[in-house]
Amino acid sequence: MKPTKPRPNYLGPVGWVWAGNYKLERYLYILHRITGLGILLFLLFHLTATTFFRIQGEAVWNSAMGFLSNPLFKIGEFLVVVAFVFHMVNGFRLILQELGFLMSKPVPPIYPYSDSLRRKRRWTMAFIGIIIVLCLVFFYDFIVGGW
Amino acid sequence: MDVPKTKQITFRVQRYDPENGDKPHFQEFTIRYSKGMTVLDGLIYIKENLDSTLAFRTSCRMAICGSCGMLVNNYPHLACHSQIEEFCSEKLTVKPLPNFPIIKDLVVDLMSFFEVHKAIKPWVIRSDSEEMENPTAEFCQSHEAFESFLQFTYCVKCGICVSACPTSASDKLFHGPQALAQCYRYCADNRDDGAPERFPVVGTDHGVSHCHLAGACSESCPKGVDPALAIQLLKRRMSSQALGLSKKEPPAPKAPPPTQSKPKIPFPEFTVKQGK
Amino acid sequence: MRRYTYLWLMQLVTGVFIAVLLGIHMVVQHLEDILLFFGVNLNDPTSWQSMIERSRQAVWAGIYIALLVVVLSHALNGLRNVILELTPSPRAERVITGTIMALGIVVFLWASYVPIALLYS
Repeated sequence: MKPTKPRPNYLGPVGWVWAGNYKLERYLYILHRITGLGILLFLLFHLTATTFFRIQGEAVWNSAMGFLSNPLFKIGEFLVVVAFVFHMVNGFRLILQELGFLMSKPVPPIYPYSDSLRRKRRWTMAFIGIIIVLCLVFFYDFIVGGW
Repeated sequence: MDVPKTKQITFRVQRYDPENGDKPHFQEFTIRYSKGMTVLDGLIYIKENLDSTLAFRTSCRMAICGSCGMLVNNYPHLACHSQIEEFCSEKLTVKPLPNFPIIKDLVVDLMSFFEVHKAIKPWVIRSDSEEMENPTAEFCQSHEAFESFLQFTYCVKCGICVSACPTSASDKLFHGPQALAQCYRYCADNRDDGAPERFPVVGTDHGVSHCHLAGACSESCPKGVDPALAIQLLKRRMSSQALGLSKKEPPAPKAPPPTQSKPKIPFPEFTVKQGK
Repeated sequence: MRRYTYLWLMQLVTGVFIAVLLGIHMVVQHLEDILLFFGVNLNDPTSWQSMIERSRQAVWAGIYIALLVVVLSHALNGLRNVILELTPSPRAERVITGTIMALGIVVFLWASYVPIALLYS
C-alpha cells in the first residue's frame, strides 16, 4: 500500500457564504463583509467625483450632477445608504458582543444546549429593527425629497 | 435488541479511495432501520453487511470521544449522537467534515488540528516552575471561579466547530474556534498564570482578530461548549491587557496543609475470617 | 504582538467615529425634508452654491478631513483583513500590506489637499 497524501478539503471563500444550514448570525457576518467592501468601492468613486469634478469648476460639476441624477444612480445611492446603515448598526452590535457585553455568562451545559448568541437573540433582533427603521427614514426622504 | 426494522432509508455516502486516484463520488446504500437507530448504527450496518471497504472513525458510540464527526445533510453532527429519524428525510447525505484534508471516505486528517491545540499550551502554567513540576499540594479554587470557565472544559476535540467556522474555510493559519476557546479556558482558570505565554500565540494577524462572530461554531457544537462566547471573552481579556486596564490578580494559592489531623476511625472487624 | 490587538481595537474606535461623522454627512446630504420638519433649512446641499459656501467654512473642511482619516483607516484595515483571510504567502502578505498603506497615504494626501486648497481660494 503506497503512502498517499490526504486530499485537501477546504471550502475556500465559498465557505464564507454557505457551508450548511446555519442560523442568523452567520449570514449577518457575510452581509457585514459585503456591505463593507461595497462601501469601499463606492468611496473610491465618491472621492473621485468630489475632488476631480469639484476643482474643475461649476460647469463640469453641474454636468456631472446631471449625469448622476439618472434614476439608476439614485437607486444605487439609496443602496449605499442602506449598506452604510446596516454596517453601522451591525457594527455597534459587534462592538458590544465582541467585547463580551451583550453575551451571557458561561453556564454549565445541560441538554438541550443553547449558546449565548441564541440566548441573546432578542438583542440581535432589536438591532435589526433599528436598521429597518433607519432604512425607512432614508427611503421616505429619497422618495419625497430629491427624486 | 430485536426491535423490528420496519422503515427504509437511503444513505448517500461520499467515497474517496486515495489508491485508485479518482475524485470523491457518492455511493448509495439502502438499509432498513428502526426507531432509535443512529447514523453510526446505519454506517456500521453498511460496513458489516453491504460494503466492508467503507472507512469511518468511531469509538465510544456515546458522544464523549469526538471521533465520529461528519456532515449529515449539510450540517455537522456526531454520527453516534444523531438518530436517523430526527432528519425526517428519505435520504441521508453523509460527507466528511469540511476544512480538514480527507484521508479516505469519511476519515479526515486531524493532525494539524491537534498541533494547533498543542501550540496554545493546554495545561496549567504557573510562574513557580518548581511547584508546577513537583506539586506539593492542591490549589484552592472557589466554586464561582470554577463555574467561570467550566463550560469550556467539556470540549471533546471533535473538530465540528472548525468545519462550521467561515474563517477556517479559507484561512489556513487561523487557529480555529477550538484552540481559541481552550486558550481562554486556561487563561480564565484562576490556577493558571500563563496568559503572557499564550497571548503572543493567539494575538497574531491570523489569530483572534479574524473571528467575526458568525456563531456557527457554538451553534453546531455537539457538547454545548459555546466556543464563540469563549473567544469574545478572550478578546475582552486581551484588549484590557493591551490597554493596561486589567487588574493583575495573583493566581490561586496552594491549599494550606491540614491544621488538624484526621480523627482515627477504628478499623472494622473482618467479616470473612482469614485462614481456615 | 500587541500591535495586532491595537489594530483590532482601532477598527472599533474608528468605527464609532465614523458613525458620528458620516452620520452628520448623511443627514446633511440626504435628510433635508426631515430636517425641514425640525426647522433647519439647508438649501439643497448638492447645488453648486451651497458647496461653495461650505468650502469657505473651516468647520466643514475639518469635518471632511477627519472623516477621510477615519474612513480610510477603517476601510483599508478591513480590506487587508479580508485579503489576509485568503492566506497568501508571507512575502505576499508584506506586499499587500505595503500596497494598501501606500494607497491609503496617496488617497489621503490628494483628497485632503482639495478642501484645504478651496478654503484659501
